[in-house]
Amino acid sequence: MRDLSQLYYFERLLEEANNDLVREGVAAGLHPIGSVCSLIPEPLLNLPGCFSVRLRAPRTGSIDIGTYYMSSLLCECCRAVLERAVEGGYQFLDCVIAPDACSQMNRCVENIEHLKCVDKEGFFVSYCDAPMKSDDTALRHYVRQMQAHVLAPLRERFGVDISDESLRKAVGQHNRICSLLQEISEYRKEEDPRITGYEFAVLCTASYCCPKALLIDRLASVAEELRTREADPKPAFRVKVVVAGSEIDDPGLIRLMEETGARVVADRFCFGSLPERVPIRLDDTQDVLTQVCRHYLTMGKCPRYMNAQKVSERQDYVRQLVQEYRADGVIYQQMKFCDYWGYERAYASKNMREKYGVPTLSIDRPYVTGNSGQLRTRFQAFVESLEIKRL
Amino acid sequence: MRYFGGCDAGSTYTKCVIIDENSTIVASVTNRSRINPVLSAEAALNEAVSQVEGLHSPQDLVYLVGTGYGRNKVPFADENISEISCHAMGVHMADPGVHAVIDIGGQDVKGIAIDTDGTVLNFAMNDKCAAGTGRFFESMANAFEMSLEEFSRLSLKAKNVIPITAQCTVFAESEVVSLVGEGKPMEEIAAGIQLSVAKRCFVMAKKAGATDSIALTGGCAKNEGLKQAIEKVLKIKVVALPVDPQLMGALGAAEYAKRVSLRLM
Repeated sequence: MRDLSQLYYFERLLEEANNDLVREGVAAGLHPIGSVCSLIPEPLLNLPGCFSVRLRAPRTGSIDIGTYYMSSLLCECCRAVLERAVEGGYQFLDCVIAPDACSQMNRCVENIEHLKCVDKEGFFVSYCDAPMKSDDTALRHYVRQMQAHVLAPLRERFGVDISDESLRKAVGQHNRICSLLQEISEYRKEEDPRITGYEFAVLCTASYCCPKALLIDRLASVAEELRTREADPKPAFRVKVVVAGSEIDDPGLIRLMEETGARVVADRFCFGSLPERVPIRLDDTQDVLTQVCRHYLTMGKCPRYMNAQKVSERQDYVRQLVQEYRADGVIYQQMKFCDYWGYERAYASKNMREKYGVPTLSIDRPYVTGNSGQLRTRFQAFVESLEIKRL
Repeated sequence: MRYFGGCDAGSTYTKCVIIDENSTIVASVTNRSRINPVLSAEAALNEAVSQVEGLHSPQDLVYLVGTGYGRNKVPFADENISEISCHAMGVHMADPGVHAVIDIGGQDVKGIAIDTDGTVLNFAMNDKCAAGTGRFFESMANAFEMSLEEFSRLSLKAKNVIPITAQCTVFAESEVVSLVGEGKPMEEIAAGIQLSVAKRCFVMAKKAGATDSIALTGGCAKNEGLKQAIEKVLKIKVVALPVDPQLMGALGAAEYAKRVSLRLM
């Protein structure tokens, strides 16, 4: 297939945190808010007058400084983000809002604050708690936390309108992005998908890192182009896989998998679209904040939710994706030293193989994967184990 | 007669196997790898081809599969297949009764569970550092100023084992030098080194799902001291393969070459 005409543009957006659209947003007077976790509902950070930028550390080299402050036993993603902050990569931010969901990422943000990595006047950090269960008590707690530590600071510091009407507007914009990505995602269910996993990962990752309002037209144009795009007559892949696990903010890892013959058709990982890019349905029975929080609580698939129901729900969800997207297997990947995914990966990959009979590759990996020969061998062996059976 | 080739371009040794339509090995070569995998593979292929009457060049092979870390660089290869799949198939061809493998390569260790048809059921791999790999043994044997064979024989004489605590090849060498300096028996230190690698293999084998018997492949499979140490920690019998265990990757690649080409025809 020929490259999507917008692909290069989207790839460029991922080359640095302070990308062209972020600069455009800042120049228009919007407040850029650093976000580090999907447990803070994105619409709350994208109220009129501000926009969220999910922190990444593209083109990371050494993470020595991050390791000095955080030790070598913490997740490399957190260390890389701190390193990038020390390098001055997030100077454009007006604030960072962090949930105490992943304690390692929280330590990273504390270090960003403590080391004064962002010296912009008025820069602040706000921390909030996030639930570990998904019941009514957790919902009430979640709503209070979002009111006190997300909405209140945005109103007080930036004069952001946090009314229901304003929230509805933000949800509407969020849903537009989600709908476009969902439309594009549907093509991944085709026998011979007209979009590669890498292309989709580029589009989806960009949706976390740019002002939503500025991205909508670009995404709409990609969706339009895809409506008439045709897959190559001869499939350029050997098997289809679902990728699940911890944060993948570098689509290069998806490309590495696809270079070995795997077509990534579903993305159940942090920075992915399933279920993060499912639109939020609102009605008039409750206030908007509660409905948004309930959506995140019920749809959330983060292993931070530790109640038994959520644990089995997550595995069922991955199995459902395998069926829905007609995948041949699952790749469970985990960032090294990620506590939550360490447990989840071990348990889920075992169940996926033994309970559900789904071929599964289970790996841990560094933050920077580049063109890793070791990972390539693992992916290739997995593809072969699925494909060679047919010989 | 038609012939099929497998070339395992490993980091330390390059191996080449040619089989006929009955999967019988008609030629095999094991050479020390050069820095350039293309040159290593080319030399091994030419040498193997020269062993078979009627073959004049690697291009006369019906199908050639490359494997090993340099699998993308094997000249004239029709396809490359990962060494994980090839070692599983190679062992299956050598002894279909074996369902698990520990492959100790020059720069990694792999545990592989094999399905009844020779394909991979599951695998685990350590390639983050040189600990527990062929490089580690080379480094240790160098520290002892011995060949690998002498080192292996020495370890078998030990009545006691001095555990090596350092996992890292560099630190382990320092530790070994310190132990030698303290006057500890050389054979007991050597046995400790074998045990430290066996423990690495234990983890890989268990992660892959080894249960009853296991085979060792790669150059280190010829190390009797290591074989005994693995049997001791794994409490699983290590099966002696009827074919040179260092050739398993190349044999598996050749078998795949045969199967793929017959399917294509």
